[in-house]
Amino acid sequence: MIRFEHVTKQYGDNVILNDLNFEIEEGKFVILIGPSGCGKTTTLKMINRLIDPNSGRIYIDDKDINTIDKPALRRSIGYVIQQIGLFPNMTVAQNISVVPRLLKYPKEKCDQIVHELLEMVNMPYEQYAHKYPSEMSGGQQQRIGVLRALAASPPIVLMDEPFGALDPMTRTVLQEEVKKLQRKLNKTIIFVTHDMEEAISLADVIIFMDKGEIAQIASPEEMLRNPANDLIRSFLGKHIHDNNETLTISSFLRTNIFKVGADRGILECTELMALHGVDTLLVTDSDDRYLGTVSIEEINEHSHEKLDSIAPLVRRVMPEASITDEAKACFDKLLVKGGNYVVVLNPDQTIAGIVTRSSMARALASAVWGD
Amino acid sequence: MTRFFTSLSTFFDIYGDMFVSSIQKHLFYVLVSVSIGFVLGLFFGILLSRAPQLSAITLPLISVFQTIPGIVFIGILFLYTGMEPITVLIALSIYAMFPVLKNTYTGLLGVEKQYLEAAWGCGMTPMQTLLQVELPLAMPNIIGGLRLSTVYTVSWATLAAIIGLGGLGDFIYQGVSSNNDALILAGAIPAAIMAVVLGKLIDRLQIAVTPRGLRKGGAK
Repeated sequence: MIRFEHVTKQYGDNVILNDLNFEIEEGKFVILIGPSGCGKTTTLKMINRLIDPNSGRIYIDDKDINTIDKPALRRSIGYVIQQIGLFPNMTVAQNISVVPRLLKYPKEKCDQIVHELLEMVNMPYEQYAHKYPSEMSGGQQQRIGVLRALAASPPIVLMDEPFGALDPMTRTVLQEEVKKLQRKLNKTIIFVTHDMEEAISLADVIIFMDKGEIAQIASPEEMLRNPANDLIRSFLGKHIHDNNETLTISSFLRTNIFKVGADRGILECTELMALHGVDTLLVTDSDDRYLGTVSIEEINEHSHEKLDSIAPLVRRVMPEASITDEAKACFDKLLVKGGNYVVVLNPDQTIAGIVTRSSMARALASAVWGD
Repeated sequence: MTRFFTSLSTFFDIYGDMFVSSIQKHLFYVLVSVSIGFVLGLFFGILLSRAPQLSAITLPLISVFQTIPGIVFIGILFLYTGMEPITVLIALSIYAMFPVLKNTYTGLLGVEKQYLEAAWGCGMTPMQTLLQVELPLAMPNIIGGLRLSTVYTVSWATLAAIIGLGGLGDFIYQGVSSNNDALILAGAIPAAIMAVVLGKLIDRLQIAVTPRGLRKGGAK
């Protein structure tokens, strides 16, 4: 458990952290996020005492970290940085085993750790252990950076925008790996980022900071549901789903519909159906008002009768809705009554359009996942 | 051609022993003072890099000191320590120290911040950071300083002769004062060869001590 008590940091008059108080539970994946200059990196670096506060105390498992010798404290905390910082004069194996060697583990133990860790990220020992950092890609280097932080099995790992410099593909892969490792090894990870996408996909808890203060501490779910202020809302951006705004029918109306006048001939209508690949047509009167639909079945049934127009075949059986109705009402009609589509009418009884099952599905998808 | 060889053999008849002992003495001066200078330069370079704010004063001071001609410095030292090899060694060591000091200092300051942060974050003490990260990364620079100081010291060591302490300078000064070209060359050529050979040896050393990950081709 990590606890900040009244932690303050300032450089001259410039207040970086203002009376910070919070707790981080063991085994959680905690994301520190916020706009640049919000103090998230400073907060992180205080945990391994790369930066000391001006006042206030930080406890790890109820022990004031000020009372722990800096090197000893840091060896018990993993640390991954954005610039990766693998020592270029050391091989992959040497880099991974830096902390175990500082802790004077026997050589066999160090070798064993290197083997195990490389295996865990599917980098064959024979192929990679004796390479130098400069011989590897950025993604591979940062994998080793993560392994270096894990080598001495620290219960806490600090990560300072570890994937910020990687391409999106590699970043996603490494995010998944880190999340998996965290679950598997039950680490407490404190992870700084400015990427909300990353935060939402990784975090158990998100700590949102702004101007040296905590704006909100919440789970991703909770933060998405109830962002504490507008800044957080704007950070969440497209992830946020605004419940207050109800969907109206007009947003997913299909308007390229096929309608005919009631005075049209039967052959004309069958031609039109065949041309557009539909089995019903919407029928309107001379003032363009909705009368009903005519279907291919109806036409077939009456094919032996000699009819001048389709007028006698028009049936008003399709579910109808008004353009001013809520979307939900329209969906209910479509799902419950089981028609192929709902005819949506304007107040003056002209046809606004139709809602089909596929246009409904599309509308729901874009509401849930964004455009 | 035969005349050249005859004169060469006459030269060795007359100066043979002196030639060999001069080279030995010269080499002795160079090796001892470069070794001392290297250790001092490394030491003070590291010290200075721990307090870079001091360099605003120290580096210009060193530059001024370096412009004092060696001959003047040896002359002054001669007043105190007399006609002893120690006089030459002190003077040469101090001169040999400067390039190493400067390169050590700039090399250490040139180590990228990310490696220091990683080293501290891993829990290295300042001494461990210096020995395991900073010095290895600065090593190509430091050895570059050693090379410079070795080559300079080979030429500065000729100054030993002006206070009668031998070395290849003997031939040069005798040659200059007696207008004897052959004697000048007898001092100058071995000194030049010595500088080239030692320089090459240090190049080898530089390759050997440069971490593989930092070598050209392997490094980014």
